[in-house]
Amino acid sequence: MKKLAVHSIILCTLMAVVAGCGGNAAPTNQPKQEAAPQAAAPDSGQKPKVTVVLKTLSSQYWKYVEAGAKKAFEDLGVDGKVIGPAAESQVMEQINMMEDALNQKPQALVVSPSQPDTAIPVFDKYKAANIPVLLVDTDANWDGKATFIGTDNYTAGKLGGEELAKQLTKGDKVALIAGALGNNATDDRIKGAKEALIAAGMNVVAEQPADSDKEKAMSVMENILQTNPDVKGLFSANDDMALGALRAIEAKGAAVKIIGTDGNIDALEQVIAGKLFGSVAQSPYDMGYKGVENAVKMIKGEQIEKRIDSGAEFIGKDNAQKKIEFLNGLSK
Amino acid sequence: MSEIALQEKEEELKRKGTLKKLSSKFGPLIGLFLLCAILSILSENFATVNNLMNVARQSSINAILALGMLLPILTSGIDLSVGSILGISIMIMGVFAVKMKLGAIVGILVCIGVGLLCGWLNGILLTKLKLPHPFISTLGMMNVARGIALIVTAAAPISGFPVAVQFVGNEFVGPIPVSFLLVLVLYIGFHYFLTKTATGRYIYAIGGNKEAARLSGINVNKVLVLVYSISGLMAGIAGLVLVGRVNSAFPLAGLGYELDAIAACIIGGASFFGGVGTVWGTLIGALIIAVLRNGLNLLNVPADFQMTVIGIVIIAAVYVDVLRQRGAKKNK
Repeated sequence: MKKLAVHSIILCTLMAVVAGCGGNAAPTNQPKQEAAPQAAAPDSGQKPKVTVVLKTLSSQYWKYVEAGAKKAFEDLGVDGKVIGPAAESQVMEQINMMEDALNQKPQALVVSPSQPDTAIPVFDKYKAANIPVLLVDTDANWDGKATFIGTDNYTAGKLGGEELAKQLTKGDKVALIAGALGNNATDDRIKGAKEALIAAGMNVVAEQPADSDKEKAMSVMENILQTNPDVKGLFSANDDMALGALRAIEAKGAAVKIIGTDGNIDALEQVIAGKLFGSVAQSPYDMGYKGVENAVKMIKGEQIEKRIDSGAEFIGKDNAQKKIEFLNGLSK
Repeated sequence: MSEIALQEKEEELKRKGTLKKLSSKFGPLIGLFLLCAILSILSENFATVNNLMNVARQSSINAILALGMLLPILTSGIDLSVGSILGISIMIMGVFAVKMKLGAIVGILVCIGVGLLCGWLNGILLTKLKLPHPFISTLGMMNVARGIALIVTAAAPISGFPVAVQFVGNEFVGPIPVSFLLVLVLYIGFHYFLTKTATGRYIYAIGGNKEAARLSGINVNKVLVLVYSISGLMAGIAGLVLVGRVNSAFPLAGLGYELDAIAACIIGGASFFGGVGTVWGTLIGALIIAVLRNGLNLLNVPADFQMTVIGIVIIAAVYVDVLRQRGAKKNK
């Protein structure tokens, strides 16, 4: 019996240690979120309780969304938490997190589903519990949603097309590099840019997919330059592809004005270096902030829009440095 | 001849003492109870019927995969392909049940059939092609199956499955999820299979000493093919549960699940050297992982920290196993 006792004790102690770790981790998280609101929540003693579930917390983009949501917690006096799995590919983990969060009875859920269709059964549970679900960044084909807050990709593309057209003269040849075929987000950007360029009298000579992949964009651009060496402008549906195309253009020694989309730091650095003309930036920070802000409105019983544009802005040489500093400040 | 081997095996088990059996059986169980007790104290939301049923549901997929995984591990093998087999099974089921509209029964049969076929191929690769270790054959299958899962629909998810397909993953009998009832039925069946049938005992014998098993007249290759086929079959069944839960099939479903399944077996006391492990230990292993994840979610512990905790539990559980074996050797 002695051995059994020893084994049990060892296992129990380890479990206790492990569980104890969990117990310790929770309180260290709480103060961060609760310290500020005390001053900001003047009248009602009951703070609105909002849970934000993102695709992951482990990438730059989602860190910006998290930062926006946390700023809104602070500004609006929200008892909130931001959670997400270790990687965007952990779809079921995200579903489990939403289920577990439901047991803690939040008053609103702000969520960016990794696989929108898979999340619908859980969304239905929230709806059954009368908890509003606000989607950010990624929309879901679900009627019960309170709103969708995200970039209007068509408008973002149009903005890029207009900025590009300003730099060119009527009749100049321009090319478009799209994402993977069937990717709605990148398709809409290309559509917006194309319409703006054509409206400004540009000659669109190429529109090709490069699957949002840097290397592929390089080969695609090489081919475009092969048939149209006198291309003057390029709009790319994301920054990675813009950077890939840039390599092909530099190798050819061609003079092409390039505009990407996303506003990533590495693209903005190339804007400062004068290699890219600019990038149309999405606002992940604003998505997080507006998500929480509108969740609070819902809790207070106010009406909110069914579709909220989180905005897009053009970043050129003069404001790129400022944007980089802003983004770097967020990830601290 | 095989009778003698079995008798020897049984005698050996007796020699190692009932004490060891007891500790290996109840160590993890005590751990699970303690874990639940601690979580009940730390979180008021943990010990509610609703939440415990959530845990039962969340553990189902891993519990079924782990049950399949236990068989290769008992033969001192491994099956790295179960997560990918889950993925390919549900994508092909999606094509048959949703795209071709062939109905629920065809869909379910296809799902289970694809799993079984992939598992059988694993067995054939190992025994007929004589690949040196199941690590290699199943690593190959892991990539092949995942690749095909992605190719089937060019990476697009499939939703809108017939209601009958969703039955297992989505329905409840009273408060108890059907998926967990399925888990119990499968575990009872496997318990009978492994302890009461000749084939079941052969599986333990092969893990104990493959050469001795062969010499005693067991058709080792035939048993191994069966073992990997069953593991694949379980992956297909787990896929059915997953699709029911989220009413959607996506090609990256099951990514990394093989590792959780292996962890469940190991925490439950199965030995990588083969011949040691029980279905009930494995169930407890799967429950410990699910309870930990759920409890840490309720305590607002971030995902990255959860990974660390589960890693520690795996190491702790195996350390207990090491101590146990050391003790057993001393007893001899």
